[in-house]
Amino acid sequence: MQLRIIHRTTYRYEEPVKYTAQTLRLTPRREGSQRILSWTLKAPGRRTEQTDAHGNFTHLLTIEEPHREIDLEVRGVVEMSGEEDFVSFDGTLSPLAYLAPTPLTVPSPAMVDLARTHLEGPGSPRERLLALAGGVYRKVRYTPGTTTVEDSASVVFERGQGVCQDQAHVFVACCRAAGIPARYVSGYLCSVDGAESASHAWVDAWLEDRQGWLGIDVTHLEPMGPKHCRLAVGRDYLDAAPVRGVRRGGGREEMDVSVAALTSGDQ
Amino acid sequence: MPVPYDEMLDPAGAPRAHCRPYYGWLREQPAEQLARKRTEADALFHRLGITFAVYGENEGTERLIPFDIVPRILPAHEWQRLEAGLKQRVRALNAFLADVYHEQRILKARLVPPEQILCNPQYRPEMQGVRLPGGIYSHIAGVDVVRDHDGNFCVLEDNLRVPSGVSYMLENRRMMMRLFPELFARNAVEPVEHYPDVLHENLKSVAPAGATDPTVVLLTPGAYNSAYFEHAFLAQQMGIELVEGQDLFVRDAALYMRTTRGPERVDVVYRRIDDDFLDPLTFRADSTLGVPGLLTAYRAGHVSIANAIGTGIADDKSIYPYVPDMVRFYLDEEPLLNNVPTWVLRREKEREHVLAHLPDLVVKEVHGAGGYGMLIGPAASRAQIEEFRGRIHAHPERYIAQPTLALSTSPTLVAQGLAPRHIDLRPFVLSGREVTVVPGGLTRVALTEGSLVVNSSQGGGTKDTWVLGPDWSQARDETL
Repeated sequence: MQLRIIHRTTYRYEEPVKYTAQTLRLTPRREGSQRILSWTLKAPGRRTEQTDAHGNFTHLLTIEEPHREIDLEVRGVVEMSGEEDFVSFDGTLSPLAYLAPTPLTVPSPAMVDLARTHLEGPGSPRERLLALAGGVYRKVRYTPGTTTVEDSASVVFERGQGVCQDQAHVFVACCRAAGIPARYVSGYLCSVDGAESASHAWVDAWLEDRQGWLGIDVTHLEPMGPKHCRLAVGRDYLDAAPVRGVRRGGGREEMDVSVAALTSGDQ
Repeated sequence: MPVPYDEMLDPAGAPRAHCRPYYGWLREQPAEQLARKRTEADALFHRLGITFAVYGENEGTERLIPFDIVPRILPAHEWQRLEAGLKQRVRALNAFLADVYHEQRILKARLVPPEQILCNPQYRPEMQGVRLPGGIYSHIAGVDVVRDHDGNFCVLEDNLRVPSGVSYMLENRRMMMRLFPELFARNAVEPVEHYPDVLHENLKSVAPAGATDPTVVLLTPGAYNSAYFEHAFLAQQMGIELVEGQDLFVRDAALYMRTTRGPERVDVVYRRIDDDFLDPLTFRADSTLGVPGLLTAYRAGHVSIANAIGTGIADDKSIYPYVPDMVRFYLDEEPLLNNVPTWVLRREKEREHVLAHLPDLVVKEVHGAGGYGMLIGPAASRAQIEEFRGRIHAHPERYIAQPTLALSTSPTLVAQGLAPRHIDLRPFVLSGREVTVVPGGLTRVALTEGSLVVNSSQGGGTKDTWVLGPDWSQARDETL
């Protein structure tokens, strides 16, 4: 299966911005079942390419001249084949680096309980992890528009509502509390007609017996599949966010995002 | 508790051989004369503006650190042993950091449990696989050493992140030379004034390959930081720019400083801000103290940062117990300087011992800093001890314990005249092309309440630290 993706992000500012620096994680990872057939980035300013500690392809973008708008566009074709819900260990950062909680993924006692209930049951590690995903799915209902900033996992859990990013944080926090390395994944979810295509977040959980990562889409309560295009991974959203930036000046910001991510037949 | 070792006087009350000339002179000084000198010192420190901000008191409270005019004196042979031990220890710590962030041989050898490192908040994944000039991580280390009742030096703590205090070492010496010039004619005290030059050379020596005549800057969080005086002082002494985050920017994976002549390339950043604040694109997003994109330039090898990012994994209290093993593992040598005996409460046998002796011991939280989360058994109430017992049972891996040390003492000028007060020592170990220690350090002295130094009923004071030259010791031994 091929995925055709066009992702545009436009930032508009009330006043001129004097300086912008952004880290872009907008280039798909080369791993598991995904292979990049073509990929281009259009962006203003100066750009430096680098692979970060998590193996993500990043661009550091800086704009030193005054500006009122930033247009980012990536587009390309990614081919998906092979085992779709599994990524083997790439030999760089130890999975143990994804075991310590981060400020966004500190578990509450109730989350520790939830993790224990689901992960200590019978069944294979894969089944238990999917059971935990079910637990998180039922506990934190997907509710668009419930978050605008980064809420911590325990806040989200308490509220019982959130977006994909929040569900991913809760799952990751629960896994780590039970001693299983887990990481946050950001990417695209593609669909046949593009209608439900979007930027999306899901999780990787460590499978010790297979020395690799099991991808789970908590929001859709299913294992990662051929429609999941992986952009970046990290300990939490802050490591893997598609765009993370700072600016000087500019006043109020408006952001427009459009994603067209289509699955296009067989090879 | 055993009788503490006094640095100047032997148990019979007679001056130790290397202190005889100084002590003889001290005894000749009329009490009023000493009191006058101390007042003079206070006034001079005030005028120089060497104060430090006190957190947790009234905002903006600034205080003078009390300066004691009686120096702490070390003979050449003791210093040489200590110096060799410090160099060895810092070499091992740097080797450990290079290993943790590359091959992780020590983890594979199971000498340190991998979770202890890789799940520690001080471990920075961003540094994994990043090559640094010379493989040096802690270019400036402040190693806190104390002396036990037998007079043996041991290390209480390694400070490998942004150790401070060296300006006091320099200013205390300047003060002593001003107050008592005659003493420096009589005693061959090793100089420390060249520290800023040594530091500057050291920083230049770790510049990225290809930087000829490298530009070094000192990055400070700004005038509100408690150590700002030191930042300004060191930058001025080294003749380098003192900059804040907003004075720097990253362009095409290189670091630049804004100047009136336009952007100027920066090769080495002597940073005096914590890892968390260095780059808002990677670490704390709300930090306005750092430079966006700095980590990209750093990982690309286009700028050096001293100390490196991620050194906290080597001076964390949970890692401290392993340092002697690091010396053996990386250098194949026996440690010349010991740790304070330490029980690791994660280990059941050690925990049992500690729980049975809590009233006699000091218990420290491994990620705690500045004395919070610490139990000093002999000074604690029953309730406090029981509270800690509960905490240890709940999370043994968060604690280590040590015996209550009888820190060495030195005569100190207090209200009643000269009296022994407990001291420690922080020498500064510089690592670059080579490892160097300027002979001396910061001696801190624990002053009691009711001291004549009015602004410091709590907190410690400082002393000048004298390391005597070898020639002097030999000469004196012959004539005595």
